[in-house]
Amino acid sequence: MLQFLLPGLGVTVSVTLIALGLGGCIGALMAVFRVYGNPVVKGLAVSYSVVIRAVPVVVIIFILFFVISAFIDLSPFMSGAIALGFASGAYQTEIFRGAILSVPRGQMTAARGIGMSRTKAIRCIIMPQAFRVAIPSLINEVTLVLKDSSLVFVIGVPELMRRAQYASASTMEPLLAFGTAACFYILLTLTLSKLLETVEKRFAIQF
Amino acid sequence: MTRSLLRIENLCKSFGATPVVTDVSFDVNPSEVIVIIGSSGTGKSTLLQCLNLLHTPTSGKIFLEDQEITAPGVNQDLVRRQMGMVFQEFNLFNHLTVLGNVAIGMTKVLGMPAKNAEKKALNELTRVGLADHWHKYPAQLSGGQKQRVGIARALGMGPKVMLFDEPTSALDPELTGEVLVVMQKLAAEGMTMIIVSHEMGFARDAADRVIFMENGRIEEQGPPDRIFTHPASERTREFLSIITTGNTDQATGKASPDRP
Repeated sequence: MLQFLLPGLGVTVSVTLIALGLGGCIGALMAVFRVYGNPVVKGLAVSYSVVIRAVPVVVIIFILFFVISAFIDLSPFMSGAIALGFASGAYQTEIFRGAILSVPRGQMTAARGIGMSRTKAIRCIIMPQAFRVAIPSLINEVTLVLKDSSLVFVIGVPELMRRAQYASASTMEPLLAFGTAACFYILLTLTLSKLLETVEKRFAIQF
Repeated sequence: MTRSLLRIENLCKSFGATPVVTDVSFDVNPSEVIVIIGSSGTGKSTLLQCLNLLHTPTSGKIFLEDQEITAPGVNQDLVRRQMGMVFQEFNLFNHLTVLGNVAIGMTKVLGMPAKNAEKKALNELTRVGLADHWHKYPAQLSGGQKQRVGIARALGMGPKVMLFDEPTSALDPELTGEVLVVMQKLAAEGMTMIIVSHEMGFARDAADRVIFMENGRIEEQGPPDRIFTHPASERTREFLSIITTGNTDQATGKASPDRP
């Protein structure tokens, strides 16, 4: 059983990490646009977040795989990871937006007061504090993306779920196959959450 | 004739239709210490934040060493770098240590190497008597210590003038003293300072000039001796008598539109 599932584990982890990284970059940027941007970029960020959150992740995966990969050469693995990242980015936009708004206004005033530009103040003063506030919500998002990564099996990416299905068909033991897969998901979720909790503690602002 | 360091000409600031600062003009000479007094809500803090362009003046001109900083196209970041600001609520960067708070402007704004910045930051902290606390975070400091870090942070940028926005209003009387001592020391070292304050004792001792503001205008200005003993304006006399009889509620307890 394990020889069927183990190769999928690495794929699941890679898809999740790429999606989280991409989603984090998109989310942080869009959140800054929403809070500090001019009406145009603010509108862009709002539309992105509203539309993407209203569309099921599977639909985004299919769109990216069938429509976009017709124009640019994308492997199923990359299409899946990017689609997940794109979806997660919308949720992370909301997470970061809340976090940015929680940073007291005086922080920006003080940063401008010592001659920082707006951009520099956002980068050096606001975002480092917003990241710390965002971590608990990000832990939740990590577990969601990890589980959503099972959806990329619909485009044939050989991740944990696809492997489990294959194992179930080969061994005729669906309970064992999917049960083992479930255990792996639990293990991964706990590990990633634990990891982020360590980061949270390490960078906690003392009050 | 001494060249004025800062010249304010007919400065006005309104928020929407509400005028907050109206037609304020005054000169600041090098090394001069000016204390701005007046009831809350009379535009003192707004005036101060207009001086380093944290608020954009509605009209009027401000000159820093003969350069008009209110002119279009002026690099505002460059202007603010030359004018240190100390806030009532301290506004220390919560995620940075005391040393980091003072050094970050030097590294990120002035482009100093981290090593030099830390050394210089430690010097500034020594100036305010907090060198021993360099490794602490703002939340671990008392209010007075926080404000002294705020002063060190502003000093670290090598400002030509220091602006203090009610630096002791959030402190209890015991902690107020340690901040005033640092400010007095700065004044003695020849730093040009503009201070919005309710500390009349400090104004009397340290100020070269006291400006009394009322309804967004300068009601009266002059040397502290004259203002405090022979105020020319009836309103100044009234304000000072309320302050000195200890009935501060009427003088300072009013809602203030510029300090939400």
